[in-house]
Amino acid sequence: MTDFTRRTLIRSAAAAGLAGGTLLDLARAFAQESPWKPEAGASLNVLRWKQFVEAENTSFVKMVDAFSKATGVKVNVSYESFDDIQPKASVAANTGQGPDLVWGLHSLPQLFPEKCLPMDDVADYLAKTYGGWIKGPEPYGKANGKWVAIPVAVNGGYMNYRISSMNKAGFKTFPTDFPGFLELCKALKKNNTPAGFALGHATGDANSWLHWILWGHGGYLIDKDNKVSINSPETAKALEYCKQLYGTFIEGTPSWNDASNNKAFLAGDLHLTLNGISIYVAAKTAGAKGDEKMKAMAEDIDHALNPVGPVGHPTELQLAFPILGFNFTKVPNAAKAFIAFMMSAQQYNPWLEGAQGYLTQTLHAYDTNPVWTADPKNKVFGEASARTLPISGVGPLSPQAAAAAADFIVVDMFARYCTGQEDLKTTIKTAERAAQRTFR
Amino acid sequence: MTDATAIATTAGGRTTWERLRSHRDWLGFWFMAPAAAILILFLAYPLGLGVWLSFTDAKIGRPGHFIGLDNYDWLSDDSVFWGSVFFTCFYTLVASSIKFAIGLYLALLLNKNLPFKALLRSIVLIPFVVPTVLSAIAFWWIFDSQFSIISWSLVKLGLIDRYIDFLGNPWNARWCLIFANIWRGVPFVAITLLAGLQTVSPSLYEAATIDGASRWQNFRHITYPLLTPIIAVVMTFSVLFTFTDFQLIWAMTRGGPVNATHLMATLSFQRAILGGSLGEGAAISTAMIPFLLAAIMVSWFGLQKRKWQQGGDND
Amino acid sequence: MTEVTNVSERLSSAHLADASEGMSYLESLPRKVVTTWMPLTLILIVLLFPFYWMVLTAVKPNEQLIDMTHFNPFFVVGPTLDHISELLFRSQYPRWLWNTTYVSVLATFISLIASVMAAYAIVRLRFSGAQTVGGLIFLAYLVPPSILFIPLAAIVQSYGLFNSPMALVLVYPTILIPFSTWLLMGYFKTIPFELEECALIDGASRLQILTKIILPLAVPGLISAGIFSLTLCWNEFIYALTFISSTENKTVPVAIVTNFVDGDIYHWGALMAGALVGSLPLIILYSFFVEYYVSAMTGAVKE
Repeated sequence: MTDFTRRTLIRSAAAAGLAGGTLLDLARAFAQESPWKPEAGASLNVLRWKQFVEAENTSFVKMVDAFSKATGVKVNVSYESFDDIQPKASVAANTGQGPDLVWGLHSLPQLFPEKCLPMDDVADYLAKTYGGWIKGPEPYGKANGKWVAIPVAVNGGYMNYRISSMNKAGFKTFPTDFPGFLELCKALKKNNTPAGFALGHATGDANSWLHWILWGHGGYLIDKDNKVSINSPETAKALEYCKQLYGTFIEGTPSWNDASNNKAFLAGDLHLTLNGISIYVAAKTAGAKGDEKMKAMAEDIDHALNPVGPVGHPTELQLAFPILGFNFTKVPNAAKAFIAFMMSAQQYNPWLEGAQGYLTQTLHAYDTNPVWTADPKNKVFGEASARTLPISGVGPLSPQAAAAAADFIVVDMFARYCTGQEDLKTTIKTAERAAQRTFR
Repeated sequence: MTDATAIATTAGGRTTWERLRSHRDWLGFWFMAPAAAILILFLAYPLGLGVWLSFTDAKIGRPGHFIGLDNYDWLSDDSVFWGSVFFTCFYTLVASSIKFAIGLYLALLLNKNLPFKALLRSIVLIPFVVPTVLSAIAFWWIFDSQFSIISWSLVKLGLIDRYIDFLGNPWNARWCLIFANIWRGVPFVAITLLAGLQTVSPSLYEAATIDGASRWQNFRHITYPLLTPIIAVVMTFSVLFTFTDFQLIWAMTRGGPVNATHLMATLSFQRAILGGSLGEGAAISTAMIPFLLAAIMVSWFGLQKRKWQQGGDND
Repeated sequence: MTEVTNVSERLSSAHLADASEGMSYLESLPRKVVTTWMPLTLILIVLLFPFYWMVLTAVKPNEQLIDMTHFNPFFVVGPTLDHISELLFRSQYPRWLWNTTYVSVLATFISLIASVMAAYAIVRLRFSGAQTVGGLIFLAYLVPPSILFIPLAAIVQSYGLFNSPMALVLVYPTILIPFSTWLLMGYFKTIPFELEECALIDGASRLQILTKIILPLAVPGLISAGIFSLTLCWNEFIYALTFISSTENKTVPVAIVTNFVDGDIYHWGALMAGALVGSLPLIILYSFFVEYYVSAMTGAVKE
């Protein structure tokens, strides 16, 4: 049934004009049922991150329109690039004025949980209606056991590799453990088709893969009691392993930001990296427009889950996109209604599909979204929410954990050791000191 | 009108002089008011607030409590902080000196009798005009590890056999940033010094040349001394702009690789805004003030041999 | 000595009527090529190369951007106007350009008025404490924006100016006033006191003296301060990033960076096209006023 509705939607979306009607009907129905009745004459200011792909934003804008028409709430959406959301939201939190809703990244809500609109009712309602929260992103919605935000989606970052290069390196399938992964990287290097992972201040990519390596060895910045625990033999092992990996990388990774690996991969210089689906989509899109080289590239790209480390369970760090309301908003009900509307099946399914695999659902009801089966190469990204740990690892997600990631404590620790700037002991000590400063 | 009355009574003697004097202060107050209002409301007050923040443990969205020098205490053995202090000073010193040298040289060249003078001068100003954040993005690409046009050319010319890791190696990255800063700063220095050069009367050189002075002696004994006041000004501003640079580093390296290129300004932004530790960020910013003052004193008094050039000095 | 100068003056005017530096007539052509044109060309190439790179990127079709084996990166084959049209017709670029102009012009205007009055008061009225005030204004320049913008944001909020271009119009003068005041102070000093005294005796008010006598004489200084201020406003980033949140109120540098970076994909062409189109108004302005600018800076330092 859901599926039928969705398809109708997609088709009518293509045939323009009609889309408004269908979505609007659904929106009206929602407005009737919704437990949150927007305040009279309410208007909402929403600040969100700048899209990965246009299609995602197109369906988002449609959804906003439908919401406005059905409820009479005027919605203004502003966009900021990934890195600018947090400063903006911080200023708003600090000054008590600004957008009503902020749809941000990572642990944004945990930076100022006491400034967030409580969301327990929304979270419970959504969990009840849509099969419950997937465990990975759940902590991003909570602070001290209370819901302060709604994790809307997760952006999965997985192994992006060239099939031909992997085969040439002697691997039929992508390795699933750390030793195998290292072997693959070494073989790739030997064939002059190197791997490369960002070691610079890349908010997404660098944090993501280095935490995966650290946690995969059992090392954590903080333990479950929020005590700094980075100075451990596990951390040392992770550093040693990473240094070996680094030896196989393409040059220049310490300077990479989030965009660098996309560029190098598409240019054919890089054959294995950790990234979202953006590289593949870019190649596919250019290929569809008639670029033969990109078409061949897209066919040669595949994705794999991150290999599992010695600890024996997935230790990925994926980028969550929680949406929060500020408690200074004058229209809390409109804000909650908007979030619930966004997450409702009629809206969420087509939106997720529009995102083409960049984004992963956070509620179990959407596990069967067709985007994961439409192209077999999309499949792994559907697991991002289930396999991710929060950015605090085993510790509680706190403002300090968010600060530690923003300050690149883990990234810099690895980078210092890999580039040979500091020896093992010193580099761990430096990181420990930085962590103590943050968690004091 | 009131002025005229004041003048008229001046003749009255000492008491009226007193009145004129107070009148002058009153008038001065009104003339200063707009500038003072803006500077106090939007500069002094937030500055005070910023310094206060540095003594608190304020986090984003949470007012802090007074914790004395605790933030500074943590900073004092934070290697990243000291690294940023080092790089800020190094960056300022090297970039400003080179900007001065190239700027002066360029100004001397442009001061010659050349065709298309106006055009040349406008061209020189282009780097100054393009928005910094965007030219920084262009530089980021020019110094890219895989797509650097410089590496590409050198490889094609057969001078090197692999790409240079411009922004991935700490010292390379530092020099690249310094280069970009110089690129952006030279026009301002050159054009302002050129202005200074034009105040030097050509007849002075001619006289000296006929007296047998060499070109270097001309420069050393005529140009340089006459140019000193403007050099002091330009260098003070140049040091200031360099010391507080932000956009260039933020767009090109984000302080990486491994914090090698953090300036105090970028580190403060990273800790305060991205990390949420307002107090600590404010402490880093506040710590900039003495260093900045020192840098400016050096460039100002070092170059300016006369006394502090302020309002009253031609009394 | 006077005689020597005269002789040389005659000499120089005989050889080269408009020689701006006394030495140049002594140079032979080959020497001039080596000492002047070669270094000048070299410096100009370095200064212009990144600019050329931006122009090139703005018109390069996407597939050539990262393909350095099949296409020579120094040139472009079959340039495209796609990026520029994306910028002009598929984004709110004209709107951003208008915001930037509006904010810059207004902020410059406010700063100039405040600076003229302040500089006049410090240099000419010489009220008690003028020297201290002058020093304080100079010190105001030492405050880096990166320390100010969090407390400033709170202040901007409390005045109800958040997300309004007026916030920038009021905040930018804090960067501009110190420089402009300082520059104009130097300028006003060069104007003879006698002019003012005569006017005072004739019954003119201070304001009349300022507008009728001092300002006309200080026009080059005003232009210089104005251009400098305009450039700073035009390129300002941190404050514009922090205080403006809705897309339609943004200024060019901030808007371009937010709108043409999709997650981890940079729209290189549009970014660079935006930088170019955004700089054009200033480049044109400079090409008209550069001579003024140069002579005005001169005025500021000679005493």
